[in-house]
Amino acid sequence: MPLKIVENQSIENPALRLATPPSDASERALLDRIAKSQDQAAFRTLYGSYYQRLSRLLTRMSVRREDIEEVINDTFWVVWTKAGEFRGASQLSTWIIGIAYRRALNALRRAKLRPVADHEFDEDSISVESSEEDETNQQWLSLGLERLPVEQRMALELTYTLGHSCEEVAAILDCPVNTVKTRLFRARETLKQVLPRLAGMSGDHA
Amino acid sequence: MNSRIPDTHAEAWALLPWLANGRLDTADREWVEAHAQSCAECRTELAAQKRVATQMQRDAAEAPASAANDEQRSFNKLWSRIEASEAAAPVTNANPGAGRRAPPMVRWLAAAVVVQAIGLGVLGFGAMRSPEFVTVTKEEARPNRSRAPAVRIVFSPAASIETINTLLEHQGLQIVDGPGTQGNFTAILSADAVASGASAESVAGVMSKDPNVSFAQPIAR
Repeated sequence: MPLKIVENQSIENPALRLATPPSDASERALLDRIAKSQDQAAFRTLYGSYYQRLSRLLTRMSVRREDIEEVINDTFWVVWTKAGEFRGASQLSTWIIGIAYRRALNALRRAKLRPVADHEFDEDSISVESSEEDETNQQWLSLGLERLPVEQRMALELTYTLGHSCEEVAAILDCPVNTVKTRLFRARETLKQVLPRLAGMSGDHA
Repeated sequence: MNSRIPDTHAEAWALLPWLANGRLDTADREWVEAHAQSCAECRTELAAQKRVATQMQRDAAEAPASAANDEQRSFNKLWSRIEASEAAAPVTNANPGAGRRAPPMVRWLAAAVVVQAIGLGVLGFGAMRSPEFVTVTKEEARPNRSRAPAVRIVFSPAASIETINTLLEHQGLQIVDGPGTQGNFTAILSADAVASGASAESVAGVMSKDPNVSFAQPIAR
């Protein structure tokens, strides 16, 4: 649809928010308003800033759809009640996503869930001959990700989908930096076996 | 810098994901890039990881479209829970700046906003029913915008400018006219928002559920 838009306008579309999270400074300003004046509008804005990101991560963690909202709201319950206690030793995003990650692990333990790949993903349904290359890549990607242990899957999601640094991923997952590197190393090796088309390799490079 | 790395290739290989996503610090980026220039294996791997990252971001950008409509409903649940909790446990802390709440004031303000929203909403719907009320903006005055999906919005009187701006940015909206006689604004959807699947209807649906918005309707084009 033809449309001339104002130059240099900063647009934060929900769908694009995933790869371009808001700056830590702007998020901290929101948290400050929540802590000091119980600002509902600031809380709502912060919630909106994380809703899509967390939904995506929790889906990738194989948290049941009906549990995702509960995990997100439990996380933001903590944000609302502990806003005044956040001391800023870490980035706000690593604090919030870290809370959600631990809540999600608890939810998975409670539900004793198996990964959705075991019962929902049919490898035979993939059509390598599909004329829609992107769609096929997406199918292969889903297959590959679902084969990964949840810790590796999260390291990959946090790095590639949300664009976090190695140190930030370590803070979120509450593990050493070298552990993050190892998880991603293993995830890459596994994906190579599943994603030869997407990765453009035959699996014999490493 | 390579001399400080006992096994440059293994170290560089481990860091390639963050070279791919642009999040290596300067010192690491310089030596990993230097290594990759002379290592075909790392270059191939870097290109592969960039493809994986791109595909994952594309997948993520396309996946959550339906979830966006659930966001306000989820937030409303959380807010109800917060209010219920605070009503059940009145504040006794003498230090109101230490993260404690003031539920009676919050509820009073919320009630006031609802009353105003209903009033403005009625005014807005009344105006929509009028056959003369087509658009606030004359389309011929803005030919380059006339085909962009547009939404008519009345914000809550309690909403701050900052909140309104944040809200508009989140939806990829830009105010092009207003306020009208009933406090109504006309906003158009950005090209990026349209490209990502947003429509006047979907955005108006999300906006109308936001506590800072009293009224939101798509404008027929």
